[in-house]
Amino acid sequence: MNARTVAAWSAACLFIVLFTTNPAYKLIVLLAAFTTLAASAGIRRMRRLLVGVACIGIVDVVLNFVSAHLGRTILFSLPDSIPALGGVYTLEALASGLSGAITIAAAIFAAAPFSLMLQPHDVMDALPRALSRTGTAIAASMNLVSMVGTTFTEVTEAQRLRGWRPRGPASWAEVVVPVVLTSAEGSIQLAESMEARGFGSATRTTFQRPKLGNGDWLVIAASSLAAAGFVAASAMGWASDWYAYPSLSAPRIGLAPLAACLLLFVPVLMWPRRA
Amino acid sequence: MPSLVCTGADVAAARLIQLTYWYPNSAVPALSEVSLDFSEGITLVAGPSGGGKSTLLRVLNGLVPHFHGGRISGRADVAGADIIRTPTRNLARTVGFVFQDPELQAVYDVVEREVAFGLENIGVPAAAMRDRVDEALGEAGVMHLARRRVRTLSGGERQRVAIASVLAMQPRLVVLDEPTSQLDDEGASLVISSAIRMAQAGHSVVISEHRLERLTQVAENVVVVDRGTAEVRQPSAWRPIRLTMDATIGRSPGAEAWSLSGVTAGPGGRPVLQDVNLAGRRGELVALSGPNGGGKTTLLRVIAGSLEPLAGKVERRPGRIAYLPQNPTALLHRPTVRSEVRLTLDRAREPDDPDQMLATLGLLAMAERYPRDLSSGERQRAALAAVLPGRPDLVLLDEPTRGMDPFARGALIKVVAALRDAGSAIVLATHDAELRDALADRVVTVCGGMVTEQPAMRT
Repeated sequence: MNARTVAAWSAACLFIVLFTTNPAYKLIVLLAAFTTLAASAGIRRMRRLLVGVACIGIVDVVLNFVSAHLGRTILFSLPDSIPALGGVYTLEALASGLSGAITIAAAIFAAAPFSLMLQPHDVMDALPRALSRTGTAIAASMNLVSMVGTTFTEVTEAQRLRGWRPRGPASWAEVVVPVVLTSAEGSIQLAESMEARGFGSATRTTFQRPKLGNGDWLVIAASSLAAAGFVAASAMGWASDWYAYPSLSAPRIGLAPLAACLLLFVPVLMWPRRA
Repeated sequence: MPSLVCTGADVAAARLIQLTYWYPNSAVPALSEVSLDFSEGITLVAGPSGGGKSTLLRVLNGLVPHFHGGRISGRADVAGADIIRTPTRNLARTVGFVFQDPELQAVYDVVEREVAFGLENIGVPAAAMRDRVDEALGEAGVMHLARRRVRTLSGGERQRVAIASVLAMQPRLVVLDEPTSQLDDEGASLVISSAIRMAQAGHSVVISEHRLERLTQVAENVVVVDRGTAEVRQPSAWRPIRLTMDATIGRSPGAEAWSLSGVTAGPGGRPVLQDVNLAGRRGELVALSGPNGGGKTTLLRVIAGSLEPLAGKVERRPGRIAYLPQNPTALLHRPTVRSEVRLTLDRAREPDDPDQMLATLGLLAMAERYPRDLSSGERQRAALAAVLPGRPDLVLLDEPTRGMDPFARGALIKVVAALRDAGSAIVLATHDAELRDALADRVVTVCGGMVTEQPAMRT
């Protein structure tokens, strides 16, 4: 799978979802992103992502419902004397929060292929030459993330057996300090290893510059067409916006912007299922 | 001025003349007036922990002083390049360096990409890279791993991938810093075979090792580094210090201290141990052996109570547990070595003097030093000193002799034997056959999640 193709598709998804205020189109983009991920990466590998997205979405909806006391369809109200919570609670605020949650979920799913479907070296290979060194350093540092988790477990276990017990924030210093120091030492050793293998000594070349196949070109073309088609449809007034306030109305769907959004489903057919 | 000491008859791949080096903020030099020639074949670097071996090796590719800072005087050349004036990254084409920890060397996730990393850095054209990667993989004996994910490899496989990464750059000199210290016997044997093959292929190989048996037979020279000075010996005239065992034979074991009945366990709900039945007694030492990834650490964690079994029952007599994790630095966070020991004693409410343990493990001279400033072997001893003082009821040690020189191992044996004789139940996971043979009442092999008991060979 070519990282540049993934980037083109992700960019098109993100562009549409951020360009429009209409939750119907956002929802289609969300479905396209979710289906593509599920088909390529598999639901099992998406479990943590799904939980994360669900949590963020719920927080967004609740926060908007609680804080935006706007709209005409009042569901219930709390006395104004209650700080922060007092005021009217409206269907419009709920719908607006829901639209925001769809935006966030679609954006996360659109960007998720970079971590779920590509290896760090796939992304590095796709970077322009000028960014190659920075990309390598970032990819190398990503290797340390899992090490921090392992170190935390190891330190916590070792300190517990040595008699440490968590008693307030200050007591955590006995765990946090060794974790931070061990992680810092790990990153220094990795830097030593990179330096010893000539990192930064010359203009980098690439072992395997990824080539774009017919399938890649098809996805890039579909993604570009989706973004361009959506902009054109908006300019023509066919992709109407949607506002939750002051009173709730159903979002309207135009045929041309709908077709543009549907183009984002092309990778479902083109991208292979990852083992 | 001392005369230049040649470690081989041929033209030197590297030459150090009157080299003295101080780490930043250190008044005492880590290397003092070292003069050496490194020529073709294998040069074995030996000596006690903290003697300056790793510093000497890091001079050869310029990590000392360019990466670590500090002050340096004298001369150091490698293949005609002035090490002191040439940055490490520019020496990478001439000197390859394999580090101690295979976990902390990989940049890429796929083996062949990892091997190509150095070539990409020095700007080798893509067309030439494929052949060089394949050649290096073949030379290191890991061609079959080319498409594997690095994280799925064993320690020994990872270390050979690190060697392939170095070989791909076709260096004149290959430096290996205790490359087998974290490997099981099989992994270590494969890495040492790779080092021998490199020498046969015409590379100059400088290797620091504690597993000396095979290397002393093939090394052209031995450099003994101690207290910052280096001395060259002929392998035929030099014998590594053997571990002497004067620990008293343990008394008859007492009551059962811990037991596992039908235990299945593993981190993250993934079984690593399957249906294990095992028990240990007070005053008994059970040694766990077996390959990397076989389940030894998981078994120790289950006995310690850090990892709940997925099935089966774990029983322990109440009392203090002393646990040395595989990564000893996980423990060290106090400002001095002495305060690490005192912390454990205070928590256990035991009145012992910390200096007693420090003296036994040869750490008294470093009692006021910051533990993380010590060499890897010294750190290991500091971590042992931090967990073992007082009278623990159950002692669990994960690879306790990692990076230790024979003197330190001897001291450890005395401490562990004393604890055993005082009634502690001891379980240690180790690849160190000498330690196992010297101390174990019982030897249990842990492999593929199964345990099998072997007869002990107390020397």
